[in-house]
Amino acid sequence: MTAWHHPTEPVLADLSAGNLDEGSALVVATHVALCAACREKVRSFENVGGVLLEGLQPTSLKSDARGTILEKLDLPGPPEDGAVREANPEGLPAPLANHDLGPWRWIGRGVYWRTVEIHEGDSRVFMLKAAPGTRLPHHRHQGREWTCVLQGAFRHDLGRYGAGDFDEADESVEHRPFIETGEPCICLVGMQGGIELQGWFGRLLQPLVRL
Amino acid sequence: MDHPAVIQFRLSCVKVGMYAAQQISTVRWKLPSRQCFRREPLRLAKHGFGRHNCIKMETNQDSSALIEVVANKRDREAFGALFDHFAPRIKTFTIRRGASDAVAEDLAQEALLIVWRKAATFDPARASASAWIFTIARNLRIDQFRRDQRAASNTHLDMVEPDEPARPDQIIVGQDNDDHVRSALKRLPAEQLRVIQLSFFEGKAHGEIAQALNIPLGTVKSRLRLAFTRLRDLLDELK
Repeated sequence: MTAWHHPTEPVLADLSAGNLDEGSALVVATHVALCAACREKVRSFENVGGVLLEGLQPTSLKSDARGTILEKLDLPGPPEDGAVREANPEGLPAPLANHDLGPWRWIGRGVYWRTVEIHEGDSRVFMLKAAPGTRLPHHRHQGREWTCVLQGAFRHDLGRYGAGDFDEADESVEHRPFIETGEPCICLVGMQGGIELQGWFGRLLQPLVRL
Repeated sequence: MDHPAVIQFRLSCVKVGMYAAQQISTVRWKLPSRQCFRREPLRLAKHGFGRHNCIKMETNQDSSALIEVVANKRDREAFGALFDHFAPRIKTFTIRRGASDAVAEDLAQEALLIVWRKAATFDPARASASAWIFTIARNLRIDQFRRDQRAASNTHLDMVEPDEPARPDQIIVGQDNDDHVRSALKRLPAEQLRVIQLSFFEGKAHGEIAQALNIPLGTVKSRLRLAFTRLRDLLDELK
């Protein structure tokens, strides 16, 4: 899979530095899991982090710090944390497979969504599934919206977005994505702020979607 | 498998080498000709950045060797050397990211415990020691932040692995990368290095960086983009 649309360098650096809130990090990490070029960039930014860490001035530890830690070495470690769950029947990218997903819910003609559980931060994350040939309601963003395409493809003013592609939209973007014919399009969407659906159909949907 | 005596000898060499490297770097440090990013001395001082933010030329190869000794021999002395080197720096990192002294101390301890427990998973062909340890500290900080929000964490950023298995001639890739990164950082204009440091060590949102540097938000965004793109280009050139 070769992605054509990628996060910007500062976004990848923010992921590497641990600066993103959980929801935003999840969408970017999912793209990175699907994109070799961005994996390479994240790896090099992690190296930058290592070099900068080496360059920091040390802060002295408590006088007994060394003794304390040496005593702890033989204690059993905690059970593996953050391990990838064994069951991943849908073959989701690893970062996403670690999250609880809600059931698919119908929200409009040919469009379904399911929630992705997030514990921290102000992003809402969900998956969106749209039937081939669907035109999504005209919408305007009130905050930042990051999307990673997992399957299928959509198009809008700025190009075609297929599996693995990363799309970034903000207040300045007002668009109406069109789902390509072929297979259904499934996306992972992380949103800060909300979106405003336009038109009578959109206004009908708004309370249902509560995005 | 090497004879234990051979391993012990290598370990001694590593320790001597690490000590020597530290001495050399300390001595060199004092020379006025030492290249150092102080092109913005007043600003750096104002925001708590001083000499320690310069890019030091410390070798990381020894740290890699120490981690391997820890992995293979469960050697406490080698671990102690790693602890002495990295724990105080992780503490600084964590304080910079907004933690209290006590929390930072705990996190540094916890990070080094993970180094001890997971040393066998460290692969010097894939990452430098400092990059590996940086990702451990980074993940702990994220977890700790999420615990503070009374929430369990399950988005764990594993260290990004390269796609291809390492070839024998790539064995020192981790070390090469560190040298490349140092050279690349040295070539960046000071203002670009500054925003990179701010985003790595203070995790500042773009708006806060704009305030800290007293420049417009748009300038911060374009400078970050320029800085990280330039850094990537330099790293590619140096490969």
